[in-house]
Amino acid sequence: MSAFPVPLDGQDLPTSKQEEWKYTNLARALSPELSNKRPMVSEEVFIHRSCGGNGGQVEDILWEGFEGQHQQPRLAIILEEGAELTVIERHRGAGAYWKNMVTDVTVGPNAKLHHIRIVEDSAEAVQTNMARVTIARDGVYDCFSMNAGGAMTRHQIHAVLRGPNITCSLNGVNLLKGSQHADTTILMEHQAPHCVSNQFYRSLLDDQSRGVFQGKVHVHREAQKTDGYQLSNALLLSPSAEMDTKPELEIYADDVKCSHGATTGPLDEEPLFCLRSRGLSADAARLLLIQAFVNEVLEKIPNKDAREEVRGKAEEWLTTRLK
Amino acid sequence: MIEIKNLQANVNTDEGPIEILKGISLSIQPGEVHAIMGPNGSGKSTLSYVLAGREDYGVTGGSVSMNGEDLLALEPEERAAAGLFLAFQYPVEIPGVNMSTFLKTSINSIRKQRGEDELDALSLLKLMKTKCKELGISDDMMKRAVNVGFSGGEKKRNEVLQMALLEPKFCVLDETDSGLDIDALKIVADGVNALRDPKRSFLIITHYQRLLDYIKPDVVHVLAGGKIVKTGGPELAQELEKQGYAEIIEAVA
Ligand SMILES: Nc1ncnc2c1ncn2[C@@H]1O[C@H](COP(=O)(O)OP(=O)(O)OP(=O)(O)O)[C@@H](O)[C@H]1O
Ligand SMILES: [Mg+2]
Repeated sequence: MSAFPVPLDGQDLPTSKQEEWKYTNLARALSPELSNKRPMVSEEVFIHRSCGGNGGQVEDILWEGFEGQHQQPRLAIILEEGAELTVIERHRGAGAYWKNMVTDVTVGPNAKLHHIRIVEDSAEAVQTNMARVTIARDGVYDCFSMNAGGAMTRHQIHAVLRGPNITCSLNGVNLLKGSQHADTTILMEHQAPHCVSNQFYRSLLDDQSRGVFQGKVHVHREAQKTDGYQLSNALLLSPSAEMDTKPELEIYADDVKCSHGATTGPLDEEPLFCLRSRGLSADAARLLLIQAFVNEVLEKIPNKDAREEVRGKAEEWLTTRLK
Repeated sequence: MIEIKNLQANVNTDEGPIEILKGISLSIQPGEVHAIMGPNGSGKSTLSYVLAGREDYGVTGGSVSMNGEDLLALEPEERAAAGLFLAFQYPVEIPGVNMSTFLKTSINSIRKQRGEDELDALSLLKLMKTKCKELGISDDMMKRAVNVGFSGGEKKRNEVLQMALLEPKFCVLDETDSGLDIDALKIVADGVNALRDPKRSFLIITHYQRLLDYIKPDVVHVLAGGKIVKTGGPELAQELEKQGYAEIIEAVA
């Protein structure tokens, strides 16, 4: 993966020949009108906190998509030494649009950024989002993405852990139906020793929807004592749903602890039977197990209000799905 | 009364069905405790799964009735509501579902099916507290995910807890004594004995006479090769303990 992707434009979309776009065909998702359209002048939100920002502070940002538009919003967040902030980023919109977004995050020494993304773009929308994250020593960056919208979404994160004692945690839940396609592509780059990184994603895939998870942990030679963990679990709610997972480890240091795992499949029969044998109807048992599957990853959302909000949305999604 | 007549069943595998139960008949009167013993692989758990309605088992012949009702025609959850309870040999882990949610949902699902009012949160809590205490289960465990990280003995105790809470009419215990230490065995046996009732029947699958010292069976069956090869009183269990299965199975063969 190149350190920074070339900016996209209508004439030069990535193709599946590029390794990191193997499972996601952007050109097919975008109508020619959208891909050739000149980007509209888009908003840029710039958040800058110098030291000592209090942890309880929340910035709530809404990115709207507009019918027929090619938008290029940019979110830049800079936290200086010791600052702490929670950013909630919401995506909505109406009609067909291409939201091609760049997110630049700089977490200073000992600073903490909690980033929550609630993606509910319109059913015809395409969102491509390139997040470039650099974290300095003792910094914390955690990001949770709830992804329930868009015809196609791609969240690509390149996190660079520059100093020692960093914790970087990237988590999310995908709730997909119809012919939705959601791609999460991560490059976690450990450049310094004694850092911890986690990736934990869960996907619910109904109908013909398709999920992609590509996560790579790259441990540089200097990054001894790295603790890197990656897990993607996908639950197929329909036989025509599909999940592509490609977890990767690239390790050049010799004293590290890295692991990855991935599961894809329908609900296990055994717990289902156990619940039914205790009186739950097949539907109730299924609902309880799927809720449990989702709730486990929602525990990763550090902000309680946001967690409850996402839980509510997931619940709603589920009840309309399972009737 | 529980009446199992000439029950035959297959397990469905990827390679096709395999015949396991080859005609089992037994009837258990209300209030009676029957024990089933038998070598590994003889079909004891299969019998318990078929009774509970697991979908990967196919009944190819025979019938099972519980108080006159055709058990095999019911869905697993309907069997539970009708009063069947199976304590699993290998209780399954259910990540993300905590014990108290599991127990509450289960109690109220059964009450609802039976046309009874659902219990409110407070009554449920009280009920669970009392039963946990009786079975030496800590309150902490109620906050944990069902069976996740439970020790072997804790899992078995948890089965008995569910049984105590659901007040079934017919309890099938599949090796609930395996993996228990001596104190836990006593607690579990006391738990079962506390449930003994003139209206309740038990089918206890075990490999050990020891459990039957605590829970006195009325009838003991020996299951081998998917058939009941011998039936007797409590003394049969003692005989088996001394002689092993080989002699008895040979004697009938
Ligand atoms: N899914 C399956 N696929 C293949 N064979 C199976 C399957 N399930 C059960 N069997 C076979 O059916 C037979 C009976 O199994 P069962 O579990 O009922 O035995 P059991 O009497 O409970 O033994 P144990 O005392 O070891 O618990 C065994 O030979 C077992 O291998
Ligand atoms: Mg068994």
